[in-house]
Amino acid sequence: MKKLMTGNIAVSYGVMLSRAEVISAYPITPQTTIVEELSEMCSDGRCKAKFIRVESEHSAMACVAAASATGVRVFTATSSHGLAYMHEMLHWTAGTRLPVVMVNANRAIGSPWNIWCDQGDSLSQRDTGWLQLYCESAQEALDTVIQAYRIAEAVLLPVMVLVDGFFLSHTSEPVDVPDQKAVDRFLPPYRAQYKLDPADPHTFNIMADPSIFIAFKQDAQKSMEAAKKVAARVDREFKAQFGRGYGLLEKVRCADADVILLTMGTAASTAREVIEEYRKKGKKVGLCRLRMFRPFPSRELVKVLSGAKKVAVLDRDNSLGAGGILAQEVKAAFYGGASKPKVFEFVAGLGGKDITPETIGDVIEHTLNNASPGGESIWMGVQE
Amino acid sequence: MKKKKTAKRKPSILPPKPSLPPMSLSFEGTQASKTGTWRYLTPMYLNKIAPCNEACPAGEDVEAAMVLAGEENYLGAWEKITEENPLPRVCGRVCFHPCEPACNRKEFDEPTAINALERFTGDRAFEAGRRFHAPKEKKKERVAIIGSGPAGLSCAYHLSSMGYATTLFEAQPKLGGVLRYGIPAYRLPKDLLDREIENILSLGVEAKTGVRVGRDLAWEDLKKYDAIFVAAGAWKSQPLKIPGEDAAGVMSGLEFLKRINSGQAVDLGQRVAVIGGGNTAMDAARTALRLGAKTWIVYRRTKEEMPAWEEEVFEAEEENIETIFLSSPVKILTEQGKVKGVECIKNLLGPPGKDGRKEPRPVEGSNFTLQVDTVISAIGESPDLSFLPQDLRKTMGALPVDETGSTALRGVFGGGDITAQPRTVAFAIGSGKKAAMAIDAFLRGQDVAQALRVARVGDKGTLSMARYRKGSADGLAQEVVKFADLNPAYFKRQKRMPREKLSPSRRTSDFSEVNLRLSEGAALYEAKRCFNCGVCNLCHNCFLYCPDLAVSARPDKQGYDINYDYCKGCCICVEECPRGAISVEVRK
Repeated sequence: MKKLMTGNIAVSYGVMLSRAEVISAYPITPQTTIVEELSEMCSDGRCKAKFIRVESEHSAMACVAAASATGVRVFTATSSHGLAYMHEMLHWTAGTRLPVVMVNANRAIGSPWNIWCDQGDSLSQRDTGWLQLYCESAQEALDTVIQAYRIAEAVLLPVMVLVDGFFLSHTSEPVDVPDQKAVDRFLPPYRAQYKLDPADPHTFNIMADPSIFIAFKQDAQKSMEAAKKVAARVDREFKAQFGRGYGLLEKVRCADADVILLTMGTAASTAREVIEEYRKKGKKVGLCRLRMFRPFPSRELVKVLSGAKKVAVLDRDNSLGAGGILAQEVKAAFYGGASKPKVFEFVAGLGGKDITPETIGDVIEHTLNNASPGGESIWMGVQE
Repeated sequence: MKKKKTAKRKPSILPPKPSLPPMSLSFEGTQASKTGTWRYLTPMYLNKIAPCNEACPAGEDVEAAMVLAGEENYLGAWEKITEENPLPRVCGRVCFHPCEPACNRKEFDEPTAINALERFTGDRAFEAGRRFHAPKEKKKERVAIIGSGPAGLSCAYHLSSMGYATTLFEAQPKLGGVLRYGIPAYRLPKDLLDREIENILSLGVEAKTGVRVGRDLAWEDLKKYDAIFVAAGAWKSQPLKIPGEDAAGVMSGLEFLKRINSGQAVDLGQRVAVIGGGNTAMDAARTALRLGAKTWIVYRRTKEEMPAWEEEVFEAEEENIETIFLSSPVKILTEQGKVKGVECIKNLLGPPGKDGRKEPRPVEGSNFTLQVDTVISAIGESPDLSFLPQDLRKTMGALPVDETGSTALRGVFGGGDITAQPRTVAFAIGSGKKAAMAIDAFLRGQDVAQALRVARVGDKGTLSMARYRKGSADGLAQEVVKFADLNPAYFKRQKRMPREKLSPSRRTSDFSEVNLRLSEGAALYEAKRCFNCGVCNLCHNCFLYCPDLAVSARPDKQGYDINYDYCKGCCICVEECPRGAISVEVRK
């Protein structure tokens, strides 16, 4: 059944259909309407979850982590400063191998104060041990939440689903809401191998001394690696059942492209249009939208990009002192390989600045017209 | 083959494998980690002494009675009080309640109304028909008690309760001593006193009234008793030592009160001067007022130095009795052998004298005359020791006793106003109880001082019959809880219930009781205001706050247990205990 809904509401439906049992969150723009809707669903009985109000995001994460440790399916959502506030608990949750699913509505982190979209908040949490899946549409957001539980529960790692603040969180589009029974078939109830249970006492997060600490980290790394295959398989199964699939990354006219534009999130929607304009002009330009940022699918990405002469990476984030985060990861992925396209780095759309067709046009023009990148990121649309 | 015992506990979901689980995880509960080994401070439940208990000369367990009253168990509270003091209805009226100035609550808002509650529980128990029960087992020893005032009655009560045969020798026609003949009826109604005394006599106490030892009975006649308690009081008034003192119309305060309390008529005339600033002076003046006389009090110092209890001074003021301060009588003016006035001289206060009080110094030429028909002198009383054997009369002024109440003669004990102790009903009751313990220990052939040591409550000489009967001080602390030992965050400020009184105009026309009883609501409110200093009342704070879940409530509801396997000694329980009932032991 198709319904008109915003990205945030689509997320709420995904959580409801996934039969989350414990939800805990603290409101923060632009995430708030996700848990607002979920609290309504809990209140009117559509969602059977226990909704726990807390005084902070740190507590929200601690709350869902503890609930998850008892073997129930949990959910939380946040944005920006809330995510930053959770930072410590993100590590704990991943380290405890709890299959928590969280949606982060991407929003710039201050200062200066800003409530609008960029992906710096989630990308700066890239080393916390969470999977990261970036969505482009409300439909994808709903579907990805459901997939995320399958992936998380298979690899015992938490999954962060990303929606661009306002561009996706607050704009409406028709969304096909899957049937509950179909979702139940796709996503069986969570069965924890180890759980907090007074009848069978375990202590979670006991001290691991130097002789074994590294072993836990290696195990998590292996699970992260395995998550690529698991995510791909889950997406294929989802497509087989629901007719929609997204892959770890999406290729648009990449096969014969000389220049491939690489980006994540909603900027890809604008880029699709611009690519077509260039194709009409006879320019061999393609688009690759990266959906999975963690684990970073280097092999899959290299395979797509290595046919091109140039790659233009459009980052909606920046690691101060290093440049666009996606660009750094892409360059690292090519290191030591046979084929090395030239990687042009662009930083755009920070703090909610529109990435317009003109912005993308300028990115493509610059890449087409220059033989090699200058060595530094090119910042788009900075007011002189 | 012997079968291996299977563990009762459900096995883990997965048995421990040689390889690690994905997360750091124990295969046992936290119980395996005995965090108690970290402890160097050890919290321990140890009930302590509430300051009111220590301050009560009669040794009542005020705190415990408050707990029971707070549970609306007023009869239980009465039982708790009467373990120590057989006269709660009397003390609830006439005691000057040193417990209340000691109450920790005074540092928070106002002290708990202990005295008013004592009266409430006493009256409530009487009205509910509660009486004392004679013990089933009787002892063969007999004890003679000289004097039936509060000390004698208390001693008789406690000894009879222990099974001893006791005989009260009372010089006056009726029992009660100062309670009957000293204290006016507006403070202690006499029919109520009769009921209290009847209750004590019902334990099998023999009473011989109108028998004055030394007059009707020789000291030697008492030697057939196994022990003697001397509590004959202090009935000898000090003379004014001024000219005209033997005129008609001059009388001592005690003599005046005794006659009024015996129902005799006393002709006071129109105007009365009462000399003195003590309780007897107040009682005499207020009694004279009720007999219709215009009354003055003449006192040689200022109001600050008055030895009378503040409440009595205040009530006398309320009744418009004028006190002429800084004045001493120098001469009784007479006409045909009858008083017609008293000449006084004004004083100035000099430096403190031997007793620490500022010495009045007459101002030459400041003489003035008060026209009165009666002069009542109430400048002090002393005991009459003339009936005692020589060995007990070695010091002037009081019967000498040691801290156990023992005199120089074996088997003879003393207490009450005849000894040198504060002259209050509560002290008298306490000394009677102390003598009962001492006599019991003596008759059992025990070391008296040793036996009484067990009964100690704090450091002020207060003794507990409950502790004495227990016979051991094991598990009983002597530490008195101070306000600083409490956690006042758990108490809310609540105003003290005022004690209702008859208005001055209504109460001075006859001898109606001035103070009224608390309502049941007010009594319950006051009982609940009690902090229960130093005594666990199962508030649950320790249980709720223990971060190690090491505190558990005992199933018998007699407090809490600490599981020292897991108690890390953080002592949050000690901090959060509102009433200082948990102690800390430092262990290295």
